[in-house]
Amino acid sequence: MAQPTLKSVLGKRSEITAWLQSWAAMNNASIAVEDNLNNLLFGTVPANKLEPYPVMLEGEVAGNVFGDTNVSVIASLLSLMLQKEAEKKKLGSEVLSLYQELNVIYNFSEKLTETIDPDVIAKLTLEQAIHSIPSQSGIIVLWDEAHNQLAIPAAFGEPLFHEENLKLNPGLLLKIGISGQSEIISDVSLLKEKGIIQNDVHSLIYAAMKVKHRIMGAIILAGRNEEQYSAGHLKLLVTLALQSSTAIESAMLYEKNLREVREREEAILRIHEVTKKFVPSEFIRSLGKESLTDVMLGDLVEKNVTVLFTDIRDFTNLSEKMTPEENFRFVSSFNARLGPVIRSNRGFINQYLGDSIMALFPEDPEDALKAAIAMQQAVYELNLQRRSEGLPIIKAGIGMHTGPLIMGITGDEHRLDAATISDTVNTAARIESLTKYYASPLLLSGETLHQINLSNNYQFRHLGKVLLKGKNNLLSIVECINGSPAEKLDKKISTIPLFNEAMQCYQEQRFENAIQLFQDLLTTDPEDYTANVFMEKALKYLKHGAPENWTGAEEMMSK
Amino acid sequence: MERKILIVDDEAHIRMLIEQTLEELEDEGVEFFAAENGEVALEIIKEEKPNLVFLDVMMPKMNGMEVCRRVKKELGLDEVYIVLLTAKGQEMDRQKGQEMGADVYMTKPFDPEMILDKAKEVLGIT
Repeated sequence: MAQPTLKSVLGKRSEITAWLQSWAAMNNASIAVEDNLNNLLFGTVPANKLEPYPVMLEGEVAGNVFGDTNVSVIASLLSLMLQKEAEKKKLGSEVLSLYQELNVIYNFSEKLTETIDPDVIAKLTLEQAIHSIPSQSGIIVLWDEAHNQLAIPAAFGEPLFHEENLKLNPGLLLKIGISGQSEIISDVSLLKEKGIIQNDVHSLIYAAMKVKHRIMGAIILAGRNEEQYSAGHLKLLVTLALQSSTAIESAMLYEKNLREVREREEAILRIHEVTKKFVPSEFIRSLGKESLTDVMLGDLVEKNVTVLFTDIRDFTNLSEKMTPEENFRFVSSFNARLGPVIRSNRGFINQYLGDSIMALFPEDPEDALKAAIAMQQAVYELNLQRRSEGLPIIKAGIGMHTGPLIMGITGDEHRLDAATISDTVNTAARIESLTKYYASPLLLSGETLHQINLSNNYQFRHLGKVLLKGKNNLLSIVECINGSPAEKLDKKISTIPLFNEAMQCYQEQRFENAIQLFQDLLTTDPEDYTANVFMEKALKYLKHGAPENWTGAEEMMSK
Repeated sequence: MERKILIVDDEAHIRMLIEQTLEELEDEGVEFFAAENGEVALEIIKEEKPNLVFLDVMMPKMNGMEVCRRVKKELGLDEVYIVLLTAKGQEMDRQKGQEMGADVYMTKPFDPEMILDKAKEVLGIT
């Protein structure tokens, strides 16, 4: 810091100058003031240059006052003013350095608000520290609680630190941690011995980073020169460390929160994925809702749908030979084969009922028929595999019916379920059980048949009408033979006219003719079990007579 | 050439800080003037025609904006380089400052280095 000059005291606009002028006038004195370089600052130096009176500042001559003897008092006064000016300047210089520090801290805080990344904060801190406290190298070490080890999120300057050795000697830093003190280390020999710092480091300064008495790490700066660091440096470093610690702590908390939120979101997503499997999303969408969480007790929608039931024939027999676990696995693998077939034909599984599946086809009844044919083929393929493994083959019955259906959410406030309530469902289930009665694997109702495009080359056989137990209306039952294995399909198609003729005789109670025709058919296709069922019935009616008022319809006494 | 800097702020410590920041320019023969309000500042500007003025915006009597306007618009003293100083957070004054003819705009707390660099630049001192 430079000393004030006389010029700064006797400036043009200075009050001293004004005062000096009035004093000179009042005392009729001639005064001149020169600075120590003989620059004239005040008055005019008389030609006979009177004896000068020196103006002193801290033992040095700052200038001279010329004039009568009584101007010596002016020299003393200027010395005093200069002394005051020097004091003011010294104070100003101290205030300035405080202000500079304040400015550093202010800017640093501002920078800290721009990031929420702990590593970026560490790097910013170190950059600022090295900028404000000239050092050759610096690092920030943080104690990583999750991994129980030291982490070095920031390193700057020359490679004066050996990071690996530092990590291997956490004990040394632990000492810093435990004391929580920040200091200038004059004896760095131990750190050199451990290979933590290079030999040419001669000064070290560090500040602990802590939040509420918990030590999280330290900022360490190193210098090549002896006594490179001052108490002022230490104060500033402590301030930076403190600010940085709080910011890093907040950033870490933020990261942790973010991670937890993400984990929770993922968990919710997983739950959502799983619930979709339990309650089909088609069901939810049919109710006009986006997600299961939007569904409310009492929500319902009425739709015209085709309901399809599948069932494994003789499952009781089959399952008796299996352990419960084998049983479960068997049903699961069976369901696993049929599920994709249903979905690929725009249907969805409404319910699994043991070995039975209930599926809904809301778009087009033909979807259900296509699915049923594909399912029969899937069962056929499964049987090829089972036969090769020496396992008994499986037969599945599929029945379907089309009609209005109410889908809705039933239950009470504690237990909800997606339910379908409809007579259509009951009828479809009954048609499925008729597959046993008629020894036919694939049956549909007349209502479903009416809505199927017959130009699509499906092969049907009409099996007459049935009166289901508890119902008043007769129901037409139609068999679709397209699901038969390829080698049997041609034979079945070729005998359709014969079958229809036989059925007509049967309906018209011309049982002898019917029996003859069925026998002809069975000669061609001995495996036509459905034809056999009707022939047996015809034989029975021929022998015992048809029931009174028989219309040709079957009256189903059992469900 | 005589070079002059005027520092205008109603707060004594700010005047002192700026003066202290620019201390080294004294050795270059730069003369310093100080004023604690706009009226005094205007008077000094008229008489001394300083090369550079550090001018606080918020001051009693006559604020910095008004001083700036009078110097630049009324007196037409384009050669007087004016640095407006405002507290941080009041940056919206920036545009107004430019309209009033200020040459540059700085915020307080100021960076001492920036003040010194600006002064050197304006006075042509390297």
